[in-house]
Amino acid sequence: MRPILGLISMVTGTLYYGDIGELRKLFDLLRLKGYRVVGPKLRNNVIRLEELMSFDEMPYGYTDSQSPGRYRLVKSDGESFRVGPDSLKKYLYPPELVIFSVTKDWKIREPEFYYPKTAFFGIKPCDMASVLIMDRVQGAGGDPYYLRARENSIFIVENCLTPGETCFCGTMGTGPEVKEGFDISYTLIHEDNLVLFRCGSDTGLELLTSLDLEPAPSEIEIKYRRMMREAKERAQAPFTIDDVPDLLEHSLNDEIWKKVSEKCLGCANCNMVCPTCFCFDVIDEPELDGSSKRVRIWDGCHSYIYAEIAGANLRKDLWARYRHWVLHKFNYWQTQFGTLGCVGCGRCITWCPAGIDLRQVVYDVVKEVQKR
Amino acid sequence: MSFGYHKLIPAKGIVEEVIDEVPDVRTLIIRVEGEYKVPEPGQFNEVYVHGVGEAPISISDVYDDGRIAHTIRAAGSVTQRMIDVSPGEVLGIRGPYGKGWPIDRLQGKNILIVAGGIGLAPLRPVIREIEKNRAKYGKLTLLYGARNPRFLLYKYEFSRYESIPHTEFLVTVDKPDAAWDGCVGVVTILLHRTEISPENTVALVCGPEIMMRFTVKELNKLGFRDNQIFLSLERRMRCGVGLCGHCQMGPYFVCKHGPVFPYWLIKKYFWVDEI
Repeated sequence: MRPILGLISMVTGTLYYGDIGELRKLFDLLRLKGYRVVGPKLRNNVIRLEELMSFDEMPYGYTDSQSPGRYRLVKSDGESFRVGPDSLKKYLYPPELVIFSVTKDWKIREPEFYYPKTAFFGIKPCDMASVLIMDRVQGAGGDPYYLRARENSIFIVENCLTPGETCFCGTMGTGPEVKEGFDISYTLIHEDNLVLFRCGSDTGLELLTSLDLEPAPSEIEIKYRRMMREAKERAQAPFTIDDVPDLLEHSLNDEIWKKVSEKCLGCANCNMVCPTCFCFDVIDEPELDGSSKRVRIWDGCHSYIYAEIAGANLRKDLWARYRHWVLHKFNYWQTQFGTLGCVGCGRCITWCPAGIDLRQVVYDVVKEVQKR
Repeated sequence: MSFGYHKLIPAKGIVEEVIDEVPDVRTLIIRVEGEYKVPEPGQFNEVYVHGVGEAPISISDVYDDGRIAHTIRAAGSVTQRMIDVSPGEVLGIRGPYGKGWPIDRLQGKNILIVAGGIGLAPLRPVIREIEKNRAKYGKLTLLYGARNPRFLLYKYEFSRYESIPHTEFLVTVDKPDAAWDGCVGVVTILLHRTEISPENTVALVCGPEIMMRFTVKELNKLGFRDNQIFLSLERRMRCGVGLCGHCQMGPYFVCKHGPVFPYWLIKKYFWVDEI
């Protein structure tokens, strides 16, 4: 037996490097070991998360230009791509799931569980952070599909050297360098045609030992640290997070919520693309044989009926639903799960059809509170 | 292997009796098959109509033989179908869920119950408990208000409530009809029709949110401290187990942290519009 535990204290934290061929080797190794490999894939001019059959499907050579309400894919040698609309919840917490069906004479049928062992490849640090948040949300008694899918997943995370315009992981402390939860992290330095690897778990170490790598020499490591620092500076919101959660709570009765949500359409796009939004509804799908399927579907707090009760709508105004969303992410979440609910991935900014910039909203609301 | 969504899978509940209450409101008496924990006063079930949908309904009575009662108002397609069931039909039952009324903390205390409309339903198990173990509790003051005399719930039990020893029972309606010779006005006026001392008293309140707001204000004026007031909140509790997110009130999941809250815990959010 290999003394894996002894090795791990030596390698964790250590950077190893090799050329880009080693990354391809890692990809092939995962497929060889029977993993379904899921990663960024080009589809209809958008980078989605899908199963990848070959390393060549990774959208290298492309980048995306993202800004509030805007997403364009462009060719690029220098800048890498960032997250698209899909997050890992597409796989770990599917948008639609039949949880059971009940026949006319009340026999309950539960569907079979199907989730192959999966390697998420080339996902971003913000998405890794979102999984750690989801772990807390679901807890021990949480969604059974999530918990089992999670057990059968490993994470190969690509650090971001070129965060995009809507990214603010630097502010949220979730990136651009992955900190925990990953099995292997890597950083692609295109200009030098090299990849820096780091191991984050026993599984990761097992995989890394099959590659041909070397410890990164001091000059490479120092360059890496400089690039990471510069990347972090690019991924900032106009505020520091420190006292923002506490200050936001004092905004509950402020009129400013009506102003900052003026453009909101209530479409719930932000809920759907958010990697941590977990709300669901269960709906009935009646079948011809008289049975009924109970289907769990994603739901979002921006939808009109979200807080409707018998004879009343507790959040009938859009500004109130918008306020709830922001307060939940940046304040309530802390009470509920001991962490904030935002990872700074910027998806809600890019995919908002009205181009509402969450960073600006938080900044404006906090500024309003501080006036008092 | 199956997913194991046990929490979302209902047990079979056989409807044994259907009682007409007031317009659009019926009480269903249900026998739940299999294991089902005896509900505490103030808890609720998720009730499922096959092929139609599910809704959270408070438990309005628990019988010695284990059967439970749900008093349901038809307010939408699911609840309409629910009250249209006939005896012998099956409904899905999940529960009991949530934190109920603080029964342990009521012992030796005077109890003030303020109920509005169908808000009397989740409080009925408390009245039953006091009736059953009368010596354990102090004076019971029961104040009940409804829109009009036709909407007074459990009217057939009123004489029973009145006959509970050491009990005062007052009723009011917002809009009287010709036959009504009782008190007229919102339920808070009853607080001034009788001697109510906050001394050693706990207030349990359930009704529409606006009614609860006025009641809390009046209670504070009468000298009730925030920790003497308990409220049962209504939210869109879709899953009942704190997973689906719908019932949030500020940072609280009403389905698992409530539906009954000590007022001081939710005070900060209770007065915020559309929280």
